[in-house]
Amino acid sequence: MKPIIETTSLNRRFGRNDVVRELTLQIPEGSIYAFLGPNGAGKTTTIKMLLNILQPTSGAARVLGVDSTELGPRELAQIGYVSENQELPEWMTVSQLIDYCKPMYPTWDDAFCEKLLKNFNLPPHRKLKNLSRGMKVKAALVTSLAYRPRLLVLDEPFSGLDPLVRDEFIRGMLELSEQSNWTIFISSHDIDEVERLADWVGVINEGRLHLSEPTESLQNRFRQIEFTAGPETTSLPATLPANWLVPEMAGQNVRLVESQFNESVTLSTLQRIFPGASQPNINPMSLRDIFLALARTFRFKGETT
Amino acid sequence: MLPFRVELKTGSPISEQLIYAVKKAVISGLMQAGDKFPSVRTLSQELRVNPNTAHKVIAALISQGLLEVRPGIGTIIGKNPKPTPQQRSELLGEDVEHLVVEAKKLRLELDDVTKAVEQHWTKLS
Repeated sequence: MKPIIETTSLNRRFGRNDVVRELTLQIPEGSIYAFLGPNGAGKTTTIKMLLNILQPTSGAARVLGVDSTELGPRELAQIGYVSENQELPEWMTVSQLIDYCKPMYPTWDDAFCEKLLKNFNLPPHRKLKNLSRGMKVKAALVTSLAYRPRLLVLDEPFSGLDPLVRDEFIRGMLELSEQSNWTIFISSHDIDEVERLADWVGVINEGRLHLSEPTESLQNRFRQIEFTAGPETTSLPATLPANWLVPEMAGQNVRLVESQFNESVTLSTLQRIFPGASQPNINPMSLRDIFLALARTFRFKGETT
Repeated sequence: MLPFRVELKTGSPISEQLIYAVKKAVISGLMQAGDKFPSVRTLSQELRVNPNTAHKVIAALISQGLLEVRPGIGTIIGKNPKPTPQQRSELLGEDVEHLVVEAKKLRLELDDVTKAVEQHWTKLS
């Protein structure tokens, strides 16, 4: 798959703060890429650089094959963008907002727009300032979907939304799957919503990318392992393999997360370090549990849910 | 809503779980030949799974002959022959494996398990 977004050693500094550091990342076309990290990790700054809202301090990004600093109306007309702190022209009604956005997009699809408005129960003649937060986000999504963008960028779209609106929002963005070309790049600190949707995951913390890989390979290499150590083991050995994350011991029960799971290697290492151990329970992990194990290991700062 | 029941669990791949659920629904008669099958978009929206996963599931079911493509309509349940008892019992495979694993963890003998199964069987017949 060819990347629809590609960054090379992207850096952004605000004063003395390096907010994004040496970010090198590729997002394949046709994927739903979840860009995860705690609040303040650099997600929004990265997105703003991708969309030419901010200039990189150094490094480069290519979006739809064009250098991000040269993105113009032609490319932006193929990109949808909804962010947590989106500013909307509050004095407009929903239908005025639609009329205002439509001329900017040659591919605007009226029938699709109507369908989205109906599915979202958006009152066309109500002013945006009189809409709830959820309604506003849905209105923003309609104006970002109606032209059937090739790339949809969502920055923390779910924060502060009630479950019903989240559900409507997800259904709305999945309407794009009817097209032949679509990619969704979605940043979030809340992993639950994207668990089964994302087929690619990137994890960023303090401006650095920790990993970027297909969800499937990530879930193949992570396992939670639990076993009884045996009476001769009274505490965890001081040094354990570096790919064993968050090892814990309570009584004789040992639990750890193997981040490079390979059945025979993992089992023989376990045998060597804990010769008296019971047959271990080896369980696959949800994306959420993997993220939490990483967060605890690397002491992610900020809120991770 | 979807015309078959599925409860997605973490662990085994979603596509496998979905294919299994559809087979189960067809073999048990919940879905019948000619019934319309949901589109990629509907599957993905209803289950909140990646559209690529939904696409993979439908493609696999088509290649296995469970689904047929009808231009203009979409996919429908194929006219597959009546399932054999063997196919029906294969559907139990996963549950049986689970039972055996649990039994072994409890250090039970095969006899104990058979007896337990028999007891439940008579209870329900």
